[in-house]
Amino acid sequence: MLTIKILGPGCANCKRLEEIARKAAADMGVEAEFIKVTASNDILAYNILSTPGLVINGKVVSSGRIPTPASVTTWLADALNTA
Amino acid sequence: MTSYITDMLQGGLGNLFAYLAAHVLLCLLPAFYIAGAMTALIPKETVTRFLGRNTPRIVSYPAATLAGSLLAVCSCTIVPLFAGIYKKGAGIGPAITFLFFAPAANILALVYTGGVIGADLAFARFFLSLAFGIGIGLIMALLFRSEDAAHDKATDAMFAGQSAVGMNPAALIFLLVWVALLLAGTLKVGFLTGSYHQLSLPIAGAAEFQGLLDRLVPYDASKGEEGLSVHGVTLILLLAAVGLTSWQGIERIHEGFNRWTWIAMGLTGLTLLVAALNIQTDAMGLSLGFTGKFFGVLATLLALWWLARKRLTEDELRDWLWESWHFVKQIFPLLVVGVFLVGVIRVLIRPEWIENLAGSNTLLGNLAGVTFGVFMYFPTLVEVPIAKMFLGLGMHRGPLLAYLMADPELSLQSILILSAIMGKLKTWTYVGWVALFSTLAGLVYGAWIDGASLGLIALFLGAFLATLALVLWLVSRHTAHEPSLPKPAL
Repeated sequence: MLTIKILGPGCANCKRLEEIARKAAADMGVEAEFIKVTASNDILAYNILSTPGLVINGKVVSSGRIPTPASVTTWLADALNTA
Repeated sequence: MTSYITDMLQGGLGNLFAYLAAHVLLCLLPAFYIAGAMTALIPKETVTRFLGRNTPRIVSYPAATLAGSLLAVCSCTIVPLFAGIYKKGAGIGPAITFLFFAPAANILALVYTGGVIGADLAFARFFLSLAFGIGIGLIMALLFRSEDAAHDKATDAMFAGQSAVGMNPAALIFLLVWVALLLAGTLKVGFLTGSYHQLSLPIAGAAEFQGLLDRLVPYDASKGEEGLSVHGVTLILLLAAVGLTSWQGIERIHEGFNRWTWIAMGLTGLTLLVAALNIQTDAMGLSLGFTGKFFGVLATLLALWWLARKRLTEDELRDWLWESWHFVKQIFPLLVVGVFLVGVIRVLIRPEWIENLAGSNTLLGNLAGVTFGVFMYFPTLVEVPIAKMFLGLGMHRGPLLAYLMADPELSLQSILILSAIMGKLKTWTYVGWVALFSTLAGLVYGAWIDGASLGLIALFLGAFLATLALVLWLVSRHTAHEPSLPKPAL
């Protein structure tokens, strides 16, 4: 069970990121809980300067850009191995 | 009554077509790609790590302006970034400088102002924003320095601990070649605008087609209006094709590049090349003039193609295309609607009104420019066609600059958001300073346009700044006494 957080106020980029992350998790058959973090204070608690940010199990894996489905899959696999 | 409505619609459409065909392509299209490249390829940390409070002022303030012009291309990204750097412990001074400089003098705004209104106003906008942005930053830092010190307890780690993320040198060159393309396409110098080779295409009916266009979009050259040419129609069609193929090729780019991606890029190049040609209609058909611009654009496009294919990583290429497309989707529709409405409104406003209010460089005229800028909210860049309309209606260039300085900085909406981030007092202080400085900028620039000697302007500006410095010094002496209350022992 992974916890995946999408950091971003709800902009187009954040929605696209969520879409990609959900699809990657579904394709891998990983069970994951998705949390959208939209309040700016909560976002700033993570050490990122620009949204969208992707956090897997408490670790920021990407910020300021939309990653490719392939790299999201790799991060999910890494998180599963260390969990 | 019906003729009135037809007039307005024709005004709007005429303005829109003339705008799409004539002005945007060689400046706005490259500007979107440059903006995308800046967002995607420049790591934000490289610039913002200089904004921490431990950085000496001589570094942090210029870094703030640099960050402003490089990172926040659209005003919608400025406030979140400002909130980020301010809450993460940047001093209020550099943060304010960043906030002030970014909307007025980012690359899109400057290029667009230069292309539509004139290079002189673009330079004035840049230099005055630079001087006043740093000035307002320093003033705010001084006024609120006790609170700023309390804010200091917030962690500075964000800025101190950042490792310098390097930028791919190829990405930097890529960005510079885009700037070269922009300059080749927009600079009005003889060797770029002159034609080196003429080619006649005997297309029957070209002259008739032009006649039809002139009837559809009637124009009055004496009012500074431009009609629609065959060249213009070609460009509008190409632009539409670029839009459609980008929708297919770039909208889902994260799932991989497809055929449409490459077609969209090819069409973009083609559009820029056609825009750089000098196409005239004559009795024989069309005559194509291969200008210096054309060869400049061709050379830079080839260089860009080579860099994109051989030197940029796939991730960089994808992020760049996505961000550029993102800007186009976000800003272009607003511009189209804005330009159309400006054309409609232009029919309604009588030139006498503008001339009476702001036809000359007076204090009242400049204040009117600033007030209009603060209370009217226009989406990013729409302020430029509006400014062009005012210019056409007889507004003096001084009040026009005052308006251009105030409009992107302040709107009721941004004032509300800012007061949520840094408090009402700081926000209204900031608003007051921006209004004052914008009025001043208009007056100074207007005086220069009217032919006042630089020495006289410098004298007045110097006297004003000296008075300001004196007042601030008194204020700071006054506040300096307050912290002499017993300090908590550390």
